[in-house]
Amino acid sequence: MSCEAGHCITCGDDGVPMHVVRVDPVRGLALCEDEGGARSTVEVGLVDARPGDTLLVHAGTALARLATAAAAPA
Amino acid sequence: MKFVDEFRDAELGRVLAGEILAAVEPGRHYKVMEVCGGHTHSIYKYGIDDLLPANVELVHGPGCPVCVIPMGRVDDAIAMARRPGLIFTCFGDMMRVPGSDGTLLDAKAQGADIRMVYSPLDALRIAKRHPDREVVFFAIGFETTAPSTALTLRRARAEGVANFSCFCNHVTIVPPLRALLDSPDLRLDGFIGPGHVSTVVGARPFEFIPAAYAKPVVVSGFEPVDILQSVLMILRQLSEGRCEVENQYRRVVPYEGNLRALEVMAEVFELRPHFEWRGLGFISHSGLKLSEAYADLDAERRFAVPGVRVADPKACQCGEVLKGVIKPFECKVFGTACTPERPIGTCMVSSEGACAAYYNFGRFAREREVV
Repeated sequence: MSCEAGHCITCGDDGVPMHVVRVDPVRGLALCEDEGGARSTVEVGLVDARPGDTLLVHAGTALARLATAAAAPA
Repeated sequence: MKFVDEFRDAELGRVLAGEILAAVEPGRHYKVMEVCGGHTHSIYKYGIDDLLPANVELVHGPGCPVCVIPMGRVDDAIAMARRPGLIFTCFGDMMRVPGSDGTLLDAKAQGADIRMVYSPLDALRIAKRHPDREVVFFAIGFETTAPSTALTLRRARAEGVANFSCFCNHVTIVPPLRALLDSPDLRLDGFIGPGHVSTVVGARPFEFIPAAYAKPVVVSGFEPVDILQSVLMILRQLSEGRCEVENQYRRVVPYEGNLRALEVMAEVFELRPHFEWRGLGFISHSGLKLSEAYADLDAERRFAVPGVRVADPKACQCGEVLKGVIKPFECKVFGTACTPERPIGTCMVSSEGACAAYYNFGRFAREREVV
């Protein structure tokens, strides 16, 4: 998981979108990839994750699955 | 990237800025608090302040988990980390927070085995790789981070990792908000609610703010378009005489929160009777500790710590900054004795801290104003 310049993702009320590459349902873990292509193992016990999903990840844990129908921004 | 790029659209930002300008009443001054440090960071990074009318003031709230950790807890962490043979793990920003006698980074330089991790899961991995050594994870954060710690503790229990324990400093967002709202020296018109805390707890816990204090709350995302839209939603509530909790961040935040996260938190944690917040003092039922069921994984029970309360440095005005009473640049030591390289106060340590965010981005806007 990468940090934006000067921005620590492990702190603050912060989350990053990551794509699910592979899911290990037995262990409740998934291999995920961030915007910059960096891969890491993510806890997916709190969401229903499938390969191809985009998850909101904070401190190594997926907190939400981002809906495909995003709320209109204006 | 989808869910990111469209919320950084400059043209959309300008349209929203125009709508905000049209929504303000001339002659009225608006003070809106962004609760969360992530919002503070985005506001300065993207220059959102510059897009707002002069009579819309953003006030920075207490939502940076690094900034609210008192010095005494840092001292406790360092005492643990100095134990021979122990591996102490923590998030990067925490390593630079000053205790009464240096930082975790100083202790590391002096020989303590302190390792930076990106997640509690990383800390658990270290424990599994070193079964002969005690491994402590320094847990900080609001309800955003607490589920991650809870899941890791549950995993440690399931996998029988006996050498792993947690120094728990998780805090909850509602009690400090209530303390701020009860503070006599603070006048606010509305709140930009914390987006990712709300992913876990939902928007419902903030209903007391409009109900008991008659202030609007808009739970917001973190991209510039999110924040501008949230400001507009608050202004519209005020101009229409409404006062409610609205959810701008619906693409992520369910109104009821993440029930699985709440369930694992209820299993692993319980509320402390009180917890000290830097600058805000002791606040009842605002901190979490490990529940009795997980007491054997509680580092505070496993290792003796000083547990001494340490007063903030006299020159430091983090408390006033955290309450939004003063702006970062109004602090006596801002940018001189206290800088991100050599912080005195915690608000200058984390990039989510109001002072560090202002130092890194906002001061340039101020320099333009002064010129």
